[in-house]
Amino acid sequence: MNKKLITLLALLASTALMPLMAQGIMGGHVTGNIQMDGQISHRDTTIGASEVPEKLLMNARADILYTNGDFSAGLRFEAYQHPMLGFNSQYKGQGLANYFVSYKTQDFGITAGYYYEQFGNGMVLRAYEDRYLGLDNALLGFNVYYRPWDGVTFKGLVGKQRVYWNIGEGLVRGLDAEVSLNDVVKRWSEATTRVTLGGSFVSKYEEDESIASTIPGYKLNLPKNVGAGAVRMDLAHGGFGLQAEYAMKGQDPNIMNDYIYKNGNALWVSASYSQKGLSANLQAKRVDNMGYKSVRSQTGEMLYINYIPAINKEQTYAFLTMYPYATQSTGEMGLQGDFMYKFKKETLLGGKYGTDLHINSSIITALDTTYLGGRGTNGYESSYFGTGELYYGDLTVEIAKKLSNNVKFAFTYGYVVFNPIVEGHEGDLHHNNVLVGDVTWKLNKHNVLRFEAEWMGSDSQYDKEVDDKRCGDWIMGLVEYNFAKSWFVSASDQYCYNDGVGNYYNLSVGYNKGAMRLQVGYGKQREGLLCIGGVCRQVPASNGLTFSLTHSF
Amino acid sequence: MKKLILTLAAIVLCGSMMAQNAKLPENVTLKTLDGKTVQSSVIQNDGKPIIISFWATWCKPCNKELDAIREVYEEWQDETGVKLVAISIDDARAASRVKPWVNGHEWEYEVYLDQNQDMKRAMNVVNVPHVFLLNGEGEIVWQHTTYTEGSEEELIELVRKVAKGEPIE
Repeated sequence: MNKKLITLLALLASTALMPLMAQGIMGGHVTGNIQMDGQISHRDTTIGASEVPEKLLMNARADILYTNGDFSAGLRFEAYQHPMLGFNSQYKGQGLANYFVSYKTQDFGITAGYYYEQFGNGMVLRAYEDRYLGLDNALLGFNVYYRPWDGVTFKGLVGKQRVYWNIGEGLVRGLDAEVSLNDVVKRWSEATTRVTLGGSFVSKYEEDESIASTIPGYKLNLPKNVGAGAVRMDLAHGGFGLQAEYAMKGQDPNIMNDYIYKNGNALWVSASYSQKGLSANLQAKRVDNMGYKSVRSQTGEMLYINYIPAINKEQTYAFLTMYPYATQSTGEMGLQGDFMYKFKKETLLGGKYGTDLHINSSIITALDTTYLGGRGTNGYESSYFGTGELYYGDLTVEIAKKLSNNVKFAFTYGYVVFNPIVEGHEGDLHHNNVLVGDVTWKLNKHNVLRFEAEWMGSDSQYDKEVDDKRCGDWIMGLVEYNFAKSWFVSASDQYCYNDGVGNYYNLSVGYNKGAMRLQVGYGKQREGLLCIGGVCRQVPASNGLTFSLTHSF
Repeated sequence: MKKLILTLAAIVLCGSMMAQNAKLPENVTLKTLDGKTVQSSVIQNDGKPIIISFWATWCKPCNKELDAIREVYEEWQDETGVKLVAISIDDARAASRVKPWVNGHEWEYEVYLDQNQDMKRAMNVVNVPHVFLLNGEGEIVWQHTTYTEGSEEELIELVRKVAKGEPIE
């Protein structure tokens, strides 16, 4: 379809619904949301921002949802004219990016068109989107669920995945079953222990193609079908919880594992205990050759069928995210521990309002592997409990305290050790210490000030050869002022003080009313990885004006 | 570009003309903190107002908001009968930490997991925090994104109106 036709269709579809709604013939509701982000960037050699030939870069989208009882339908219009910095240039263009109709009741549901789905923790299947990462692997096809009895759910799907403005060639089919034992076994319905079990199976079909083997003149015998399966459990007893999932994948030679024939597997376990004001959680994960895509030759972040999240905590302060970890789906092992405690009011450490303590630590390493051969072989052997080189480690200690009715204070200490091999290049480990102070001061009902100060000391110095603009010691300050109910202004500066590779200042102003938000910013953005959920996207340096408008209705 | 802006404007215009009190979606799949799959129709409050708050463990303003409401939640409930339903959009990375997180923060809210973000899409949530206020009939009468210190005081004012059956501008 050409672009004009699509635009016309989107218009027709939305306007055609309007009189019907107004007259109340169909009943039902139309809701939706829009988002527009724009950027004007200029060359700045000090931070490595290159010249952008287009005057204005803009990403825009609108979702329109029609709901009438058990029936719903949706349309999404996307436009990238031209894609913002950091978004893949293959997004350039505009059109209808997503459409579906669905009928859903308590027991049965079917969706035709584009849909998102997750089996268990997503280790064998997760079709999802993240608009800020420019990632959308929605499946186009059919998705059904059926609940024959309370506590029993079956899901089935078939489809092909979105890749930018196209559809990937690989066909994905999946089945999932989940049983809550307490609902199914009557005697256990009142039991204090709750148990849920589940299992899923996914298969990918793709035509053969010609991939050269390491033996000259021979090509690889590629499997057309690649299967993956997983079993999972969720056990809860009072404040205790235990969750686990184990996934396996058949022979799947692909570009990520350099066409080896080893089977893949992954294990994830989470144990936790909590009561009022106290919680502890320990998670362990081992991933071995679990990169699973619907097109074997696809590089980059698109067309993943499954999702293996990073096991470290998602940090929010700028310097703690300066060296973000991205999941190595080809192989990694990790542990994460999390502890939270509330010191009660009117105690020595609690003071008048109580004190919150939050400690989190994680460590991620490579697998301990023995090389067997290259392309066309089983690749390597790995010992199950052995660990390889360190990929990433961190420790954060956060203390949050209300000082008075109007002043809140949070102090964070963080330590991060980072192996650059995670980003694909050899080098020494980076060791960073980070301190953060964060104060919120409520002046009166509609006027709130927030201050943030951060420091990062690093053992890595700036190296002209590598030109990694993160290296060195940093300080940062931020002031944010919220006023008149709906407005905010903020100013911040990040500065690398021992080698001067950059001074990154930012000014922004925002307006917020109901579900509408408008923000305009001016300043410099450091090049780096933008990460959400352990999936990362490289964002180039930029210098100039940005704006963002979001609205839900 | 002009055509694009026109299209978007038309969509917004017709959308906002028709957005008269949409209801809470009924058949969206959610999970309880004990791992059970339920439909969104379980969100009920006997004809009294409901606050729906979309949040995530990594979202600082969300946590500030839910912490601030915790301090006054009992009073709110006694006065208006309101119930707060907190919907976590954490994915597999942090979903297993949501239950201990809620306990550790001493939140007395009804909490659901929306790992696949079905509810988030069905309610057109773009960013968190995003708060909805539902009247006794389950109609969405107000929504708001972002949190600044003290904005919970405006929220309770609206809840009081809704509890009395008064309209909100």
